[in-house]
Amino acid sequence: MLQLVADGLVVGSVIALGAVGLTLTYSILRFANFGHGEFMTWGAYLAASALALLLALTGGGAMEPLGPFSFGWQLIVALLLAAALTAALALAVDWLLFKRLRRGNAITLVIASFGAALALRNLVQFLYGTLPEYYTREIQIAIRLVPSGMLGDVLGGLRITPDQMLVIGMTLAAMLALQALLTRTTLGRAMRATAMNPALARVAGVDVEGVIRATWVIGAALAAMAGVFAGIVGQIRPGLGFELLLPLFAAAILGGIGSVRGAVAGGYIVGLAESLSVPLVGAEYRAATAFAVLIAILLLRPTGLFGERA
Amino acid sequence: MSGALQIENVEGGYEPGLPILRGASVSVAKGEIVALLGPNGAGKSTLVKAAAGLVPVWSGSVRLAGRDITRVPAHRMVHEGLGFVPQTENVFANLSVLENLQLASALIARSRRRELAEMFALFPDLDRQRKLAAGRLSGGQRQMLAVARALVASPSVLMLDEPSAGLSPKLVGVVFERLKAVRATGVTILLVEQNVKAALAIADRAVVLVEGRERLEGPAAELADDKRLAALYLGAAAEAH
Repeated sequence: MLQLVADGLVVGSVIALGAVGLTLTYSILRFANFGHGEFMTWGAYLAASALALLLALTGGGAMEPLGPFSFGWQLIVALLLAAALTAALALAVDWLLFKRLRRGNAITLVIASFGAALALRNLVQFLYGTLPEYYTREIQIAIRLVPSGMLGDVLGGLRITPDQMLVIGMTLAAMLALQALLTRTTLGRAMRATAMNPALARVAGVDVEGVIRATWVIGAALAAMAGVFAGIVGQIRPGLGFELLLPLFAAAILGGIGSVRGAVAGGYIVGLAESLSVPLVGAEYRAATAFAVLIAILLLRPTGLFGERA
Repeated sequence: MSGALQIENVEGGYEPGLPILRGASVSVAKGEIVALLGPNGAGKSTLVKAAAGLVPVWSGSVRLAGRDITRVPAHRMVHEGLGFVPQTENVFANLSVLENLQLASALIARSRRRELAEMFALFPDLDRQRKLAAGRLSGGQRQMLAVARALVASPSVLMLDEPSAGLSPKLVGVVFERLKAVRATGVTILLVEQNVKAALAIADRAVVLVEGRERLEGPAAELADDKRLAALYLGAAAEAH
């Protein structure tokens, strides 16, 4: 049972990172971006390319694992490069597509985001092929979280790999950093002000286009991080982001669309619901469990866990 | 007195081909409070929004202390010295009182910035509610915060769109008294108002707008007794029926 919780937290971390970006773009750009999952896929593949380049440059061709982890420092650098490149990709998509449609209604933007998602997904397939890829083929030994003899038997031999622990830790650190940015910096306050009232933000002196660009950068960088984490604990596939898109929306809506705290909570609830439901309904239906939880929460609280009432 | 704000022959509106402003002109001298009056639909709010860069100006010009600011983007207006307080939703409800002011302060150059302590001294009610979300303030306190938010950037001209909207008569008096105190700090004020009596009581001059252009103008004390003012309002009402 506790093992399922640990697995759920890992999946939840990836969903939370993606859902935060989704909820940020929704609250500031005011449309549901169905292309957000593709930024995760692109982030994962760009990191793979950056990793290959770094390994070639450092001459080895193989990666020396860093401490207990399955990967070396090269993947950390690759993650940072992928985050920057995915942010640039998001800005390019905004400039080419969304910026031109901003004066239209939200439905136009949503449909455009479907188109952008299709184009981005097919471009990944064209460039990288359809076969799964891995950052590393190092085999990791899951470590026992609680030593035997100290409640170890009661906790059912809970095991987790160092990579999984890093994913959970880095996600929480990223969320704390984002929360600090939103509440303690001028950019964060400007983002919250723009989300609340773009016209008032303008007359107050906020460069709303600048805030929109910052939102794309932050959302896409977090999506790239999520994509790389999904690749670290699993594999990289062209469908990686698309398959996570519905859980991302479920998490963002469940937490209260527009709320960063809500998206994080929603991400972990969806991840845990999916993981914990496997013994009950089987792996085939685990995605449906997240939606059952979503419906239950929305019945009790229509604006989501942290959503504000209209 | 020299011209602080000059709006000349402005035509504009929200949709191309559907003008709301039809050659409107308003001039505000330095240190004045000018009331912009007129019946519903006259274009008063649209005119100040156009001056603030929120509504497209198709022709005409807006000058601030002689500088043409007609095409300046809305977010640059505070840097030019033009402050604007919208009628509704004029504070960031999800930010605290302090955050509302901190944001306005951080966005402006240090040389223009007024100290937040100065704002709290001018609006003592806000000082007691620093940590409260602005959305939880009373109507009067919200207006005070909206004015304080605009004043942080040291505007030479402050435009207010119906600051009395939704306030009790007592609170209207309090808000207008504060506006007089704001003027005393050297800020020129253009005040859009439906509450004619209250506006004329604090204004030096008034301009009456009907169907997108000025129809009557004069010293506030004289216009208060001018039968043409009532006729313009009643005329618009009669046409509406």
